[in-house]
Amino acid sequence: MHGKICAFLILCHVILYGCNTAPVPPEVAIAETQEHEIWRAGANFYMPAEYKAHKAALRTAKDHLIKQQSRLSLFRDYEPVRKEFGDIISGGNGLLNQIQEYKRTKLASIVAQITYFQNRIDTLKKLTLLINEGRAARRQLMSAELLLTEAQRFAEKGKYSDAEKKLKIIPIYAASASEAISPVLNRYADRNQISKWRTWANETIEVSREKGSYSIFVSKIDRQLVLYKNGRPYKTYTVGLGKNGFHDKLHAGDLATPEGKYYITKKLPRSKYYRALLINYPNEEDVRQFARAKKNGLISKRAGIGGLIEIHGGGKEGMTYGCIAMDDHHIQELYNLVNVGTPVTIVGAIDYDNIISSTIKDL
Amino acid sequence: MKRLFLSLTVTLAMLFVLTSCAKQPTQEMNDSKAAIDAVIADGGEKYANEEVKALNDQLTAATDEVKVQDGKFFKNYDKAKEMLAKVKADADALKAEIPARKEKAKNDATAALDAAKTAVTDAKALLAKAPKGKGTKADIEAMKADVAGLEASLTEAEGLIASEDYMAATDKANAAKDKAAQVAEQINQAMAKKK
Repeated sequence: MHGKICAFLILCHVILYGCNTAPVPPEVAIAETQEHEIWRAGANFYMPAEYKAHKAALRTAKDHLIKQQSRLSLFRDYEPVRKEFGDIISGGNGLLNQIQEYKRTKLASIVAQITYFQNRIDTLKKLTLLINEGRAARRQLMSAELLLTEAQRFAEKGKYSDAEKKLKIIPIYAASASEAISPVLNRYADRNQISKWRTWANETIEVSREKGSYSIFVSKIDRQLVLYKNGRPYKTYTVGLGKNGFHDKLHAGDLATPEGKYYITKKLPRSKYYRALLINYPNEEDVRQFARAKKNGLISKRAGIGGLIEIHGGGKEGMTYGCIAMDDHHIQELYNLVNVGTPVTIVGAIDYDNIISSTIKDL
Repeated sequence: MKRLFLSLTVTLAMLFVLTSCAKQPTQEMNDSKAAIDAVIADGGEKYANEEVKALNDQLTAATDEVKVQDGKFFKNYDKAKEMLAKVKADADALKAEIPARKEKAKNDATAALDAAKTAVTDAKALLAKAPKGKGTKADIEAMKADVAGLEASLTEAEGLIASEDYMAATDKANAAKDKAAQVAEQINQAMAKKK
């Protein structure tokens, strides 16, 4: 009798707990480790929808596993779970590959953007240097360059979304810098303006030819002063301009170099800047332009038109208050050759395809 | 027969008492979740992102174990309780570590800012040596504006430190330092050309 009872109790225990518990399929642990890898690869940043779907599938599979684990061991069947986790692992591998591919594409796009912005910034910087302009623009460009450096660092660390966030701000600074210098630059790409300057240049050269005398022609964009004799270039000098030299002078203190047809009114043998040739700025057109600007509120009502614009020594690298600066030995040479009354024509540019017009096409 | 019935009843009663009376460890689950939330509230996702993810995974595993036991006729939550206790202990330990990590990030940001300030000051000192007069070379003038731009970014980095965004401050300061070194190099080149 006792033997039967014992046998019955053993049977009960076997039914309840099983002789041995079937092991959880190894795919479960693999899928869990893989999920961590997928997360670490940045799935929630780069493929949030796909990652969410993967996690949902994993959750469902785990629920199925839990269901099996809750069963009496005799009735557990891990085969469907094993298959389900196997599918998840395959899907996870696909997702990892997709993330890697996405990141590769992202990196290529970021590198291309960095190159594009660096070129744009370099071009703008070159232009600011060329026109002596851009205290404001340069600050904006520095901000853009700093963002670019930060973006580069993020890209190197694989933080692509952070890199992209920085890159997105750069156009604002670049546009702001471009806007700051475009009023100056656009004049050098304006064909009507250049035609006007060409006409002045031709007239000045023609005077030199007709009278067999000297004429002075200054091209701001080339930073050149050309002395014409009998209508032909006789001497060419490099010059410095006003601090805002690429602007047309409008009023006193604007540090711009005037554009127009002038002539030498006085030769100054003892100038603060070695030798100087005073010109008749403001001429009639300058006076009209000044009056128009004042009337239209473009300049202060208290502003004066300015004067004392000279071609002087002091060095061609100098940035002046609006005058044209030359090396001392060159102004000496010029001073000796020209006389009061010699025409002086100052223009922005005479080539339609000049360095500014061709550069701003790239912006 | 009577004795058989009695034995069976006693056995089943013992099993019932030993196992099926076990209660779901709700309190432990809440405590573990609260411990992880406390880590996150202290900036865990910023300063210990990997560990926070691991803690959440551990919590999910413990919750799954609870679910396994929930589905059994004879429940035993001991393993789940053990797992939950570990989650809580790990979370508490991590929470205790966060201030030190934050402090380190702050120190790193401050050091990066100091280095950037030094680099900008050096660039400014070089600019002060640049030729003076009625005007200076255009590139020197432009670089003065560049340095002004760098100074503005230092102010931004200071603002980020003040708002406890130490990592962003470090990135910004490091970028400014690199750029300041480049500007200094350009100033040297410009001055060399001038000589």
